[in-house]
Amino acid sequence: MSYLLVAILAGLAAIERKGFLQAMLARPVALATLIGLALGDVGGGVLVGAPLELFWLGAVNLGAALPVHEALGTAAIAGGAVLAGRALGGVTPEVAVLSLLIAAPLADAGRRAERLTEVLNEKLAARAEERLSRGDPAGAARVNLLGLFAPFAISAVLAPIGAALAAEAVPRLVLGPFAALPLATGWFAFSGLACASGAKAMRAPRARVVYYAALVAGAAAVVTVMWRVGVRA
Amino acid sequence: MTVPTRTLLRVFWRSLFLQAAWNRRGMQNLGFAYAIDPALAALYPEPERRREALARHLGFFNCHPYTAAAILGGTIYHEERVARGEEPAGNPVLYKSTLQGPLAAIGDGFFWTALRPFFGALAALGALAVGWPAVVITLAIYNLVHLALRYGLFRDGYRKGDGIVADVARLALPVFADRLRVAGAFVCGLTAALLLWRGALQAGFLSGAVALAAAAFGYLALLGGARLLPAAYVIVVAGVGAALFAARWHGSS
Repeated sequence: MSYLLVAILAGLAAIERKGFLQAMLARPVALATLIGLALGDVGGGVLVGAPLELFWLGAVNLGAALPVHEALGTAAIAGGAVLAGRALGGVTPEVAVLSLLIAAPLADAGRRAERLTEVLNEKLAARAEERLSRGDPAGAARVNLLGLFAPFAISAVLAPIGAALAAEAVPRLVLGPFAALPLATGWFAFSGLACASGAKAMRAPRARVVYYAALVAGAAAVVTVMWRVGVRA
Repeated sequence: MTVPTRTLLRVFWRSLFLQAAWNRRGMQNLGFAYAIDPALAALYPEPERRREALARHLGFFNCHPYTAAAILGGTIYHEERVARGEEPAGNPVLYKSTLQGPLAAIGDGFFWTALRPFFGALAALGALAVGWPAVVITLAIYNLVHLALRYGLFRDGYRKGDGIVADVARLALPVFADRLRVAGAFVCGLTAALLLWRGALQAGFLSGAVALAAAAFGYLALLGGARLLPAAYVIVVAGVGAALFAARWHGSS
């Protein structure tokens, strides 16, 4: 049942991402939250989705160039993390980072699959022309909607597979060989890199200076507050 | 010969499916034909003329999915004139091919590389700071702007035809785009500082410090051409390694 929900949400996200609407609902921060909601742990979804959003902030479809499939990657990572978290008392940083490492490559696989659908869609264009020549303009126009099936199917198949791999492997690793490792620090390292990736996506002349200024000023404020309230290492 | 308002709304709804069958040869050609078909059906009751009209819109088309709404509206403006016999049938296609490049550049430069990433970064920061309500509010604001501009462009394109060019220029989107990108970089920097706080509280000061260091040095590495996904694996291993090293050093001292 949970995997069915992951499949449906991942498939719909793949459609929303390119074929219909494009209202940011397939962006990691939204999709991971939705997956968390569907699987009964909104907070876990948000925890995973926020860094993924920044990490893939530059995943943008410009002209004919295809970015990585951030929605497919997100669905698998968030689904895997929430499901693995069920056995471990919630989505901890340890669960999040292992789910990320296991399922993130799906985003790249999704890009390749999308390239394939673009070739398949040439057949749809030919079919539309053929319908038009038979004197059925309304039917020819509607061929467009058939293009929604392949992206849905690809994500609806791959996302639950990735989520299942993570959901099965993560509890074993966290309770077994990786039990003594400080994995949480790995998640925070990834989250920091995600901020850097987000800043890099903002291509403006002053973006570099502003990014470092905000980082340093914010860090100074945080350290000051910690000092005052007496948080110790 | 004019297109009824109901039909225009139907065309706008269909324009949301512009990239449903994006393909390497015609790109958004099927999507454009699908969107404009109800308007053509209203303008050309004779089957042969409608067939010709749809056939010309199955030719190559590619634009940004939001700003393409302006071209769709303007193309209906021109098709109305063709249907009335005031313009040659080649004009709508000429209009499309003239505007698609510039409007694609404006749409990519404003929506895809400025407005959406800015709201994405804001949603991420809000999500980490206060949780899911921040995501809902941020996305609602983004879509208010998105749908207002998308529908406004469609309506103005239909009303003004070629005049839409001056309208889009007046919006000064590239100026706003630059400000949004700078603001977005600011939000990313703040998020890194928030991670220092979060990491320190959840997993020890070292985790927060590692997040901050990853944000600072990761940026340089990515600007230097490091690939994103491999960089993620390297930084996770480096973070865990740093924590192991610190624990051992702390333990032996």
